[in-house]
Amino acid sequence: MAHCERASKPLLKCIRTSYVRGLAGVQLPANRGFQSSAVARDEAQGETASQPFYRAPDPALVSSPRLEKKLLKQGIAPIGSRRRRVALQGSDNIPFEQLPYQCFQEARQILQADREEKLQEIQSVREKIARVQAVPTENVREELAKKSKLGALEQHLQHLKILADINDPLVKRKFEDGQGDMTKPVYRFLAKRKWEEYRRKILVQRITQMKVIPDVLAHCEPVVDTKLYFGRRVVQPGDFVTSRISATAPKLDIQMFEREEKLVTIAVVDPDVPNVETDSFDYRVHYLAVNVPISILNTKVDLAKLSPEAQVILPWLAPVAQKGSPYHRLSVFILDQKDSQPLNVADLKAQETNRDNTQLRTLQARYHLKPIGAHLFRTQWDETTAEVMEEIGFSDANVELRRKRVEPLPYKRRNPASFR
Amino acid sequence: MLQPRLLTPFRVFERAIAPSLRSAQNLYQSRPLLPRALPTPSKPTPSFSLLPFAQVRHASHATQGAANRHSRDPAGKRLGAKRTGGEYVVPGCIIFRQRGTKWFPGENCGMGRDHTIYATHAGYVQYYLDPERHPDRRYIGVCFEKEGKLPNPRNAPTKRKLNMVAIPRVVEENTTVAVVGEEEAATGPQMRPGYMFREANWVIGRAAEEAGVTAKPFDRTNRWLAWRKRQARVKRSAQMKSFKNNSKKGGKKSGGGR
Repeated sequence: MAHCERASKPLLKCIRTSYVRGLAGVQLPANRGFQSSAVARDEAQGETASQPFYRAPDPALVSSPRLEKKLLKQGIAPIGSRRRRVALQGSDNIPFEQLPYQCFQEARQILQADREEKLQEIQSVREKIARVQAVPTENVREELAKKSKLGALEQHLQHLKILADINDPLVKRKFEDGQGDMTKPVYRFLAKRKWEEYRRKILVQRITQMKVIPDVLAHCEPVVDTKLYFGRRVVQPGDFVTSRISATAPKLDIQMFEREEKLVTIAVVDPDVPNVETDSFDYRVHYLAVNVPISILNTKVDLAKLSPEAQVILPWLAPVAQKGSPYHRLSVFILDQKDSQPLNVADLKAQETNRDNTQLRTLQARYHLKPIGAHLFRTQWDETTAEVMEEIGFSDANVELRRKRVEPLPYKRRNPASFR
Repeated sequence: MLQPRLLTPFRVFERAIAPSLRSAQNLYQSRPLLPRALPTPSKPTPSFSLLPFAQVRHASHATQGAANRHSRDPAGKRLGAKRTGGEYVVPGCIIFRQRGTKWFPGENCGMGRDHTIYATHAGYVQYYLDPERHPDRRYIGVCFEKEGKLPNPRNAPTKRKLNMVAIPRVVEENTTVAVVGEEEAATGPQMRPGYMFREANWVIGRAAEEAGVTAKPFDRTNRWLAWRKRQARVKRSAQMKSFKNNSKKGGKKSGGGR
């Protein structure tokens, strides 16, 4: 068999199978390719081979929208793109080492050699760190120098750890499948990069353009990825949420990218409470909880389920906007407590009883908080607001706001002489 | 009109390539059989093709046609500041008219379709720079206080005014059109725009409904009815045409007769 024939065989096979499948309109389970660790799963598939594919569709191979929907109903998301899943159906399960492409294998060898080099470097840096730590210090100056040197070495080590794995195709695939292990530095790096590429930019734009940043807090550089859910519906930053939906407390998904445990304060502040007497806007704290632990793996925070004794200072107050009033911005802030030390809940409960006219700036200064994440949603008058107002006993429920009539300036003839 | 003139840079340039020029000249010259005692002129005459920009426009030429040129200027567009700094403005008040964005809208100001700056809140006009926001732009803002200073500090909460009054909320009932119509119809004909004393258009439109007149629903497959209608229209239009022609003819005839 000629070399070119052998090389084109998998491709031809792929085309043929996809063609047949396209005609028949039936999904055939096939082994996954481009994978070296699929043996165990293949065995598992062999056991369930008696079942037809549509009964138990494989999330990695399913390609018809109907079966995908079925899987989603069960709570399993299909893996990767549909195009990739279709390609996997027709591919042979050849591990990377045995793929018959010479250039590919050469490239793999280069990458492996690079990884070996990086691993050796990591080893040497670790030894160096141990050596530096072992050196005793006499005065403060030496202590500081040692500390800064150790910090730099640690940073370099983290960088090397990322470099060792960043070129691995399996790492890339696992991350894209959403199976990345966030305890490993390379997946954290990839996740952070992905967040910063789009979602963080959107968030920063929304909170600055909607003036949350000078209105509620002076500065905020988000470093944690925050998602907000009302029920199962995810809310994009700045979305309008109807009053009925926001009557129950939301859920947060706070994804950190640093490997440390943190205690955070979560505050939801509305800076747009209209005040007709002073002809301006007031602040209202809709939610305040302290000592909420978050870490890389512990990301889900349900604001309704935090402990009312140990964490929640001010429970959830449903946001409502009076009819005719400008929209209310409900800003959610995640604030890092200083040195991750717990705050005294009893003191806070005694002091922070007033929802109205409590500025987040004041709290930030009083308890030395540092904003690390933010989110935003908006609310305005809708059909369900009246009901929600009744439920929460809103005082000004039967008041509507109208624009004040502006007296026009008196007409003044500017230069009467020239008109004559 | 335009005179060629030797310019220094070109002279230098020419000197640099003089030998080649000379040789080129020699090519075109009929070579004498015997070398002359008189040497060839060392300075060759500058060629016109080398000096395309060496043109001069004298003052006598520049003034030609200037007498009527400026009279063709278009009328002024009345651009510029309509309100000065410190002047009181109300929402919608035009502060500056401009072509393009010579000034940008700052605090409590908006920019219209033709870049006109107008006030969105009542206050006092200020013209200012905001280097933190943009290094080069000039802004026009409206400050609530007469002695206030713009721009506001970048990290301070924005100064806003509600400009609203609280009134009791009216709960909308499900009012049907028919009920409203009866109320209105009871009032009868009224004075309409154009000094017409008549009923409202929508009342007239519902006259057939009140009278109980029903029309057959349109059936597009009923070609017999369609044919009859079309014939009626053709007949009517022919009749109208004939009237028109008759009147024209009559007019002409009468005119010709006299």
